[in-house]
Amino acid sequence: MAASAEKLERLISQEYKQGFVTDLETDSLPPGLSEDVVRAISAKKDEPEFMLEWRLQAYRHWLTMKEPKWAFVHYGPIDYQAISYYSAPKEGGDKPKSLGEVDPKLLETYNKLGIPLYEQERLAGVAVDAVFDSVSVATTFKAKLAAAGVIFCSMSEAIRKYPQLVQQYLGSVVPPGDNFFAALNSAVFSDGSFVFIPKGVRCPMELSTYFRINAANTGQFERTLIIAEEHSHVSYLEGCTAPMRDENQLHAAVVELVALENAEIKYSTVQNWYPGDEEGRGGIYNFVTKRGDCRGANAKISWTQVETGSAITWKYPSVVLRGDNAIGEFYSVAVTNHRQQADTGTKMIHVGKNTRSTILSKGISAGHAQNTYRGLVKVLKGAENARNYTQCDSLLIGDKCGAHTFPYVEVRQPSARVEHEATTSKISEDQLFFCTQRGISAEDAVSMIVNGFCKQVFKELPMEFAVEAQALLGISLEGSVG
Amino acid sequence: MSAVSQYVEEYRTIGAALPGGHLPWLRELRERALTQFSAGGFPSPREEEWKYTNISTIEKKRFRPLPISEPSAAVESWLKNYELEDVWRLVLVDGRVAADRCRLDGMPDGMIVCGLAEALTKYPNLVQSHLGLAAGRENHGFIHFNTAFFSDGAFVRAPGGQALPKKPLQIIYLNSRPESLATVRNLIIVEPNAALELVETYAGADEQSYLSAAVTEVSIGENAALDLYKLQSESTKAFHFGGTYVQQARSARFRHYNFSFGGLLVRNEVHTELGHAAECLLYGLFLAFGRQHVDNHTLIHHAQPFGISREIYKGILDQRARGVFQGRIVVHQDAQKTDAEMSNRNLLLSENAEIDTKPQLEIYADDVKCGHGVTVGQLDENSVFFLQTRGIEEQAARTMLTFAFANEMVDRIRLDGLRGSVQAQLLALFSKANLHQEWL
Repeated sequence: MAASAEKLERLISQEYKQGFVTDLETDSLPPGLSEDVVRAISAKKDEPEFMLEWRLQAYRHWLTMKEPKWAFVHYGPIDYQAISYYSAPKEGGDKPKSLGEVDPKLLETYNKLGIPLYEQERLAGVAVDAVFDSVSVATTFKAKLAAAGVIFCSMSEAIRKYPQLVQQYLGSVVPPGDNFFAALNSAVFSDGSFVFIPKGVRCPMELSTYFRINAANTGQFERTLIIAEEHSHVSYLEGCTAPMRDENQLHAAVVELVALENAEIKYSTVQNWYPGDEEGRGGIYNFVTKRGDCRGANAKISWTQVETGSAITWKYPSVVLRGDNAIGEFYSVAVTNHRQQADTGTKMIHVGKNTRSTILSKGISAGHAQNTYRGLVKVLKGAENARNYTQCDSLLIGDKCGAHTFPYVEVRQPSARVEHEATTSKISEDQLFFCTQRGISAEDAVSMIVNGFCKQVFKELPMEFAVEAQALLGISLEGSVG
Repeated sequence: MSAVSQYVEEYRTIGAALPGGHLPWLRELRERALTQFSAGGFPSPREEEWKYTNISTIEKKRFRPLPISEPSAAVESWLKNYELEDVWRLVLVDGRVAADRCRLDGMPDGMIVCGLAEALTKYPNLVQSHLGLAAGRENHGFIHFNTAFFSDGAFVRAPGGQALPKKPLQIIYLNSRPESLATVRNLIIVEPNAALELVETYAGADEQSYLSAAVTEVSIGENAALDLYKLQSESTKAFHFGGTYVQQARSARFRHYNFSFGGLLVRNEVHTELGHAAECLLYGLFLAFGRQHVDNHTLIHHAQPFGISREIYKGILDQRARGVFQGRIVVHQDAQKTDAEMSNRNLLLSENAEIDTKPQLEIYADDVKCGHGVTVGQLDENSVFFLQTRGIEEQAARTMLTFAFANEMVDRIRLDGLRGSVQAQLLALFSKANLHQEWL
């Protein structure tokens, strides 16, 4: 066991590999939040009148709301007036027309992150919409997508080009007054991705966005909206990182998914925001509202997330199963280390008949971290024969961390069947012994067991992400268990 | 005037007459609780632990503490329904000990069973060292309310170091008058190496609305054991709050059996803290029909290593009833080698019934074995079909399976007399809900 204790030490001293700062001139608003700031953001984005109205309403509503306190996380008060609500890399006037015009330093940042735009374009065939601080830098593969009728662009572009679609769907899943952070986001969101898959189209490639918070003292408030019309299909990937800074940064995003009849949306996230140092200084506060709405019959929404970063994670990707026979899925691996805190899980709201949902959550907690699964399964009166299966497993590494499971089950329909199971354990010495006794090193054995623990979730990830997720897990936890 | 300030006002007039008025420490305890109550009021659904239970109907009503009076003649016949054979018996009517109905003869040396008011004059030091010990950890309106207003209660001390005759103790709490308020405070002390079986029966006059707000504090000494049965069959219009707060010393064993059948709005709390290698078993069965609302709240603190806890709660909800189960297991950092399991199974029998369940694990130690499971569903159609193929009518088959689901918990009762009585009550409830029982 001494060897693994050593490895645990090594893990704890592991540095954040994405923690570099890109030295760029930025165009930022001074810190502070007021109606003028909201107006300024809207003006900078050249938005139509209805958006400004929408933002202002959200802002006024936000003023009346209180920050929620029920989550199992602890942090100092956030000063919302000390945050700059808009930050964009300065490019001297016009937006870049092609990748060649993008600031080379920016591209270098992405290269360091391991998502070279060119390379991805050539090799992976993934269309990337990269969001840097608050504006979308470049969107690749537009032409190919356009041929299929798919719209994949930044949110601000969508607001200008497709105001009708935006007006129809924006806020229809997560209303501006939904919760404190969603209201804040609605008022000040600066950019994000917009995806529209027309009727009957199977999106020819996987869509992907990479988020990065670069500027200091900024919040990132991105807003993503994905609409899948009848009989369409899309798989969307999202990745996030941030540089190392001593102060905490706020990230309050909203993601809305709309799936109409027979449509399918698969949304995968690998979240690797800067988690703070060993003492818990700095790091991102990740307060995110993600919700999908299965509006039509037989629609399907699937969330897969690998959460390894952030000082505090607070998110519950949810699915409203409105249409009959709709399916909701949630697969999650949440890893917390050092002094990270995660309160994450899902909500499955069964409204339609024969709706089904599956929840599979794997939590790994190490160091002084606190990892909480919080999930709601709600079956409304009309949801005949609704079916839910939930499994939450927690793995504890070290005796200073915590793993918690808080499921909420609310059922109003007698024909519904809801099952919930949860276990908490550490890697058993028997398992380790079995492996080492067969000549496998303790380190490999642990990595094998942890990977096995997460396998059910990883296999839901698209190829590229599965590789990245395994690498991330390797970085954070390899050889640390014992 | 709000309900809270009305009660606070009332304290000014009746406070001095409440038992233990001659003891400064108790007066101070009550005053402090009253201040907390007047500041916080009754719990509201905005509090996470009260999320599913809205007690505003209690606040809208005005329940009055009763002056000491002769219990009505009808009490005798009601008591008959609940009295067990061959037990010691303590009876409280409308929140006060009814001495002439108690059967406490032949107690072994050192064993004390009496009213709390009596204990406050006879054994003030013993009471002082235990009162508020277990409930002091809790912090919500009903606890403060009870502390400020308790009018009497049961005081039990089981002495250690000698063999006690194996005879259970039954405490009956009966509410006989409408719109009355019964605030009893019970203190159960099981000394090291002692063993005690205790049956608590809460009952009331049919169709009467009253508030029964009971707090029971239990202290179980080293190597001691307590089996506590709680049978709640309050009137169908009554409001019941029953909190049981337990402290278990090293290797102490606590078994709690919670049967919740009556009441309109019911909240049962069972909280326990386990010492080194202590063991606890929490069993519960709740049935709710009509517009009943039953909330079961359990909390198990594993504070020391080697603790074992097992919890099984089952619920049956029919008509427009609503059931709540909130179970929480906390494993503290020192509590290595803890073994905890919790399960909650619920049967929804009607379109309008609802169940909200929230089993929680909160774990700070790494070498533990913990798990919980929840199911919500209806009867297994295959089982129904199986019985039908044997010539049993569908309705009868369903009743049979529902009864079997509930009876599994009744079967765990270790006292024969009580098991029979609980089973009879269960059957009576089934017939009330128009479930057939000719197959029995």
